[in-house]
Amino acid sequence: MSFITAENLRFSYDDENRNVLDGVSLKVEKGEFVALLGHNGCGKSTVSKMLNAMLLPDEGVVMVDKMITSDEEMTFEIRRNVGLVLQNPDNQLVASVIEEDVAFGPENLGIEPSEIRKRVDDALRTVGMYEYRTHAPHKLSGGQKQRVAIAGILAMQPSCVVFDEPTAMLDPSGREEVMNTIAALKAKGITVVLITHYMNEAVQADRVIVMNSGRVLIEGKPDEVFSKVSLLKKHSLDVPQATELAYKLVGAGVHCDKMPLTTEECVGFLEEVLGK
Amino acid sequence: MIRDVTLGQFMPGKGVIHRMDPRVKIVLLIAFIVFIFCTFNFFALGVCTAAIITAIVLSDVPFKMYLKSLKVIIVIILITSLLNIFYGTGDPIFQLGFLKITLAGVYRAIFVSVRIVCLILISSCLTFTTSPTDLTDAIERLMKPLKVFHIKVHEIAMMMTIALRFVPTLLEETDKIMSAQKARGADMESGGMIKKIKAMTPVLIPLFVSAFRRAYELAVAMECRCYRGGDGRTRMKTLHMKPLDFGCVGFAAAVLAGIILCNIFLPAVI
Repeated sequence: MSFITAENLRFSYDDENRNVLDGVSLKVEKGEFVALLGHNGCGKSTVSKMLNAMLLPDEGVVMVDKMITSDEEMTFEIRRNVGLVLQNPDNQLVASVIEEDVAFGPENLGIEPSEIRKRVDDALRTVGMYEYRTHAPHKLSGGQKQRVAIAGILAMQPSCVVFDEPTAMLDPSGREEVMNTIAALKAKGITVVLITHYMNEAVQADRVIVMNSGRVLIEGKPDEVFSKVSLLKKHSLDVPQATELAYKLVGAGVHCDKMPLTTEECVGFLEEVLGK
Repeated sequence: MIRDVTLGQFMPGKGVIHRMDPRVKIVLLIAFIVFIFCTFNFFALGVCTAAIITAIVLSDVPFKMYLKSLKVIIVIILITSLLNIFYGTGDPIFQLGFLKITLAGVYRAIFVSVRIVCLILISSCLTFTTSPTDLTDAIERLMKPLKVFHIKVHEIAMMMTIALRFVPTLLEETDKIMSAQKARGADMESGGMIKKIKAMTPVLIPLFVSAFRRAYELAVAMECRCYRGGDGRTRMKTLHMKPLDFGCVGFAAAVLAGIILCNIFLPAVI
């Protein structure tokens, strides 16, 4: 059985008649890195909040590690297990000292002080912010703040972290810092669900799920999904720049066996084409 | 720049007072305030003042900072001492109409001034050497017994912590909004007081809207991190009384003994 299973989720916010989720089903395996794509208002963020019981579906079931999110007794266990990192790092930090902020989660769980200390240090080392542990959050850059927010989740020792557009408010270097941290989490065996607008981030995932108006449009390995350029374009979704270029070249009559996803692959593809 | 405002008066350092347990500091501050008002002659006041000066020297904060905090209340000191000068009884040393200055009045004026100065100095000593976070933390721990009266101690402390956390963030935001409104031609500098206050409306409204949005997001983030109020919560930092703290408590006890002895065995001046 998968680590996270969501079946046939339907949901609408009180003030809207429209169903934000209209029958979404998805599975996430343990240790997997899944990217969730889709344009604004397609329901990605709503799904992310359902994975850790912040929202409950009107219809359908979300199971996390054999726990049903609608079971109130399990709420805290689920939230400990599935951490959620939000978009704005400023609004996620609680304390005026980095290490105290990271300690907030484990403190809520009622863990022994010495164990909290250890977890905080470990989490800060994982995100590479250990040297900053006594600093104030407002003195850090956006990328650093977001890494502290990630450390705050890691200190609860979750088996899965859901990122809701963690790089949307960051500059390119901050984005890279966060993506490196995500890669480090994956290497540690933590399941990652990344919601993003940036296709070059989605390319790094094991699997990509594309949502459109409350439904799953396509899912599969990044190269499978992004090879369906015309389908994605039809729903006004982007593809990585490298794929876009190759797609246009193919349209102009250039032959291509495998759509490139990254800059490196694209360079290879162009060399091949120009070499002929 | 508005965002450079430092919150509170905390001066980072490694002096003796800095290293004290913040709880002990708060309790001793209250004790010293009581001591100051329990001095009934110059000798007792002298002991108390000497103790406070010792604390200031040990605090490792430039004396200039203390002078700065005294500057604020200089008017209050002047007014109270002026009033006291004329309220003395006994033989006048100077008389002008119904105004008369007596020796007792002069003594009383000096006495009151020294008391106020001592009060400010010792309070500043606490705020200079303790970070706002430590202060909130210590207040939470000291107020814990009040739970018996159903006072939500943890919640109050949490609110203080969050408020402290967001002061710099909101200052920065105010700065941005002001720049944005100025860029659209808002005039915030000219005109009188009333006009200036009115000109702040286009700054305050977006600031409030954004503060509420932040509050909502923060609540979501806190829930994601399993926050459920103070019950069953532990703390990473545990405060322990160190030998230094016991030493300071001992010092305070000695000061108290000194003050009592002076009060009893030496003549009262006023």
